[in-house]
Amino acid sequence: MSSQNIYILGIESSCDDTAASVIHNGRILSNVVASQKIHEEYGGVVPELASRAHQQNIIPVVHQAIKKAGISKNQLSAVAFTKGPGLMGSLLVGTSFAKSLSYGLNIPLIDVNHMQGHILAHFIDEDGFDKPPFPFLAMTISGGHTQIVRVDDYFDMKVIGETIDDAVGEAYDKSGKILGLGYPAGPEIDKRAQLGNPKAFKFTKPKVDGLNFSFSGLKTAILYFVQRETKANPNFVEEHLNDICASIQYTIIGILIDKLKLATKQTGIKHIAIGGGVSANSGIRKALKDGEQKFGWTTYIPKFEFTTDNAAMIAIVGYLKFLEGDFANQDVSASARLKI
Amino acid sequence: MKISYGINEVEQVAKNLLKNTKTKTILFYGHMGVGKTTLIKALVKVLGSNDDVSSPTFSIINEYKLQEGKIFHFDLYRINDIEEAYNFGIEDYLDSEHWKLIEWPEKIEAILHQDADKIEIILDDNNNRIISLK
Repeated sequence: MSSQNIYILGIESSCDDTAASVIHNGRILSNVVASQKIHEEYGGVVPELASRAHQQNIIPVVHQAIKKAGISKNQLSAVAFTKGPGLMGSLLVGTSFAKSLSYGLNIPLIDVNHMQGHILAHFIDEDGFDKPPFPFLAMTISGGHTQIVRVDDYFDMKVIGETIDDAVGEAYDKSGKILGLGYPAGPEIDKRAQLGNPKAFKFTKPKVDGLNFSFSGLKTAILYFVQRETKANPNFVEEHLNDICASIQYTIIGILIDKLKLATKQTGIKHIAIGGGVSANSGIRKALKDGEQKFGWTTYIPKFEFTTDNAAMIAIVGYLKFLEGDFANQDVSASARLKI
Repeated sequence: MKISYGINEVEQVAKNLLKNTKTKTILFYGHMGVGKTTLIKALVKVLGSNDDVSSPTFSIINEYKLQEGKIFHFDLYRINDIEEAYNFGIEDYLDSEHWKLIEWPEKIEAILHQDADKIEIILDDNNNRIISLK
């Protein structure tokens, strides 16, 4: 296989960002996310969200991904796109574009599950990053998702735990909102947490059976806590911001690590691969390293640009499906609630 | 109509509410953490969907299947203005025949039907929810 030159274009448009990437065999040649810069180059406005924005972005983004990869579109072996889950209007743009392009170039079309993309991003060839061996546990943590998946093979995976309400990134952002921080608040809470005392304030962890998560109650607990304390001292948040952030971070990480411990115990699997934007959080990274020492885990975190919503992860899934000859028909349609 | 409830009575409250709503568009007003998503979770179940309900703050719209039709669960928390709502095609969703349960409707008030059912949730001093349907 390695003597063959396989070029896959990956297109991702499940939520806010329009992204395109070209992969050559297992290695990423380009990974473009729609940004202000693309708009500057092509003119036009910059709406924040989805479909109309995707419609404006998709052609320049795909163009740039192919150009950056240093190939011509006629060299593409297949087009892969995000079928779901996501926001319907956004998914439709990527889906229709990918279908037309594959039809026009007369090359295979490959549908990709966004959540599988987050997991299989670990199989992108990247110097200095190891690939997890099967079976492993994948934990995807982001603004929109929180789940633990048992992965027995590239396309043999099962969700064994997920959030029943808010995602972990949302817990960060909404806690930040309560504290008067900007959106998204995750990075700011992480930064301040490193300067504060994680045991200054205690927030009760939610009691959720099994491997499922819940973060909605924590948000409410933080809200009550801040309201109560500010009644007694209007400057409470300002005066204790670092300690509050450290305590929130400590609680959230505790919840994630507790579930990972339970998952490793239930499955006997100690290889843990983390994906999603929240994997950039320094506290989580440290807790995972501690887990390697304490519990004998081996943990894997991909390069940051492959953890947030991106098209490289769609391209790698496209590549893996291409090798298996697993193609979609022209009648494939987007699916907002697609399951793994 | 006005009901006071604890969080563990939410399913009964959802049943009562659905007996009293006039339309398939329900707007949810209330501060963050007051229990809007939790109430919607109960409503979706009472309406007969088996789908898991999670917060659509990031995804903006979740869809749940019913035996006949769908429920659209909106969370407009993180959009900044109506222009962004137009950008993701909100009119197509609002014009549909399906159920529409909308959190943070303040952001799109200008394009909502006047006759939509409005629910306000507030917390009293004992952490009970007080809900009013208008």
